[in-house]
Amino acid sequence: MTTDVIDVPPPDVAPEDTELPMGVGRFDRGWRTFIIFPIIGVVIGLIAYLYERNQGLVVTGMRDLGSMRGATWGLYITLVVYFVGVSFAGITIAAVIRLFHLEQLRGIARMAELMTVVALILGALAIVVDLGQQMRGIVNLFRYARPQSPFFGTFSLVISGYLFASIVYLYVTSRRDASRMASQPSKLRRFFQWWSAGYEDTSDQRARDSRTSFWLALAILPLLVVAHSSLGFVFGLQVGRPGWFGTLQAPAFVILAGVSGIGHIIVMAAMIRKSLGAEDRIGMDAFSWLGRALMILLFVYVYFIVVELLTITYQPSVAEQQLSEALLTGRYAPIFWGSTLALLVSLIALAVMGLQKRWRLSWLIAAGVLVNVGALGKRYLIVVPSQTHGQLLPYGVGSYTPSWVEIGVAIGLFSLGTLMVAVFMKVFPIIELDDDLEEVST
Amino acid sequence: MNRRDTITIAMIIIGLTLMVTSYFFGAAPFCSDGVECSNPRVQWSPAVFVLGVVIAFSSAIYYEVAKDKRE
Repeated sequence: MTTDVIDVPPPDVAPEDTELPMGVGRFDRGWRTFIIFPIIGVVIGLIAYLYERNQGLVVTGMRDLGSMRGATWGLYITLVVYFVGVSFAGITIAAVIRLFHLEQLRGIARMAELMTVVALILGALAIVVDLGQQMRGIVNLFRYARPQSPFFGTFSLVISGYLFASIVYLYVTSRRDASRMASQPSKLRRFFQWWSAGYEDTSDQRARDSRTSFWLALAILPLLVVAHSSLGFVFGLQVGRPGWFGTLQAPAFVILAGVSGIGHIIVMAAMIRKSLGAEDRIGMDAFSWLGRALMILLFVYVYFIVVELLTITYQPSVAEQQLSEALLTGRYAPIFWGSTLALLVSLIALAVMGLQKRWRLSWLIAAGVLVNVGALGKRYLIVVPSQTHGQLLPYGVGSYTPSWVEIGVAIGLFSLGTLMVAVFMKVFPIIELDDDLEEVST
Repeated sequence: MNRRDTITIAMIIIGLTLMVTSYFFGAAPFCSDGVECSNPRVQWSPAVFVLGVVIAFSSAIYYEVAKDKRE
């Protein structure tokens, strides 16, 4: 049995003008206007990075610990942790959808996979910009890294293994749509033919697809738990750093990763749903599922915050007391209480919707944005205060403020992510094509 | 077992072997009391580990894309 696409061009229309589904290949005025902003952001980031490359890391706000009373890890490492966290939920949801056949979420599967790939690329770039000698850092990592070091787990598993696995997963699960797109005459036809790589929509091929995606999902899930836990261990295993050392770091990393990632997916899915008019493909049942998942993870994370607060304030050492004061009433209090409030408000909104069993998209979007603001703040608080206020050695209290260069690079990274998603949407269906709507058997 | 299955399984085994070998026998030993604990026993072991991950996951692409003889 072969399949053809219904949308055959009328005879008076040139084959190249065929309208592809999901807005693919249509670079309309709205899209062109939209991408001006991320392009400007990328240019800002590039200028800031080239300036840093030329002048050295001295143009950032980062300084040596102790003697220079600064922080060696700042906004860039915050972004690494944040982006890698965002990637977690994407591939988890994509894998869970296929493993447990959650049909109501199928519409968001591909964007979740894409989000993972984009977030991991941004995470890798955030590491690169944090290095004074990029090539030396990259080469030496692959040459000398020690398996016992959590950095080995983080950078070899997360950035290379996990990124590669996610790209493979995205490719394998998209070949069928590529083949269906290639069956329509368009300017992108050759590209789709290359992507589909000889895919034929036979029952054999579908069974093979199903097997491959199942085993890939099964292999990726433990890999990503190990990878994200090891990112938590980068901080949690540092015994000489109050605020970092602790058993909760790894699970808290995984939970907050889920929170920020699901928040991102909600916002991204709502925007794409609106821009493509795909209300039938991404229904409210998908958003309510995401809302419930976000609510449960937020409950767990808030519990972690309470436990952490009790632990550092109950009977702290001198350094821990200094750190907790800086967090609760001192220099970092606005970020601490701001991010905690953002997470709590989201949790209350989600709990109200959950109790009423009535999920509102606008509230979910607001919760998705707020949890990401909160997560970014929490990531910053994990990375920075323990360096400036968590000294065991007899150094004074330090400080760190990101410079315009770091802020410029951060703008560039977020803009690059937006641009990558926007371009992907125009060259490939970001929502899986529906059998009933797009195809007919002949 | 056809050729596709054989090569796919071979790629997974080769990938896993590279990962295990480089991690446990090529990289720095699991100790912390000497310089020899810091340096890898075989240079580029972490790169070999990553190569193992790449080969193991590439098996999925091969399994999907390769055509059997009878096809």
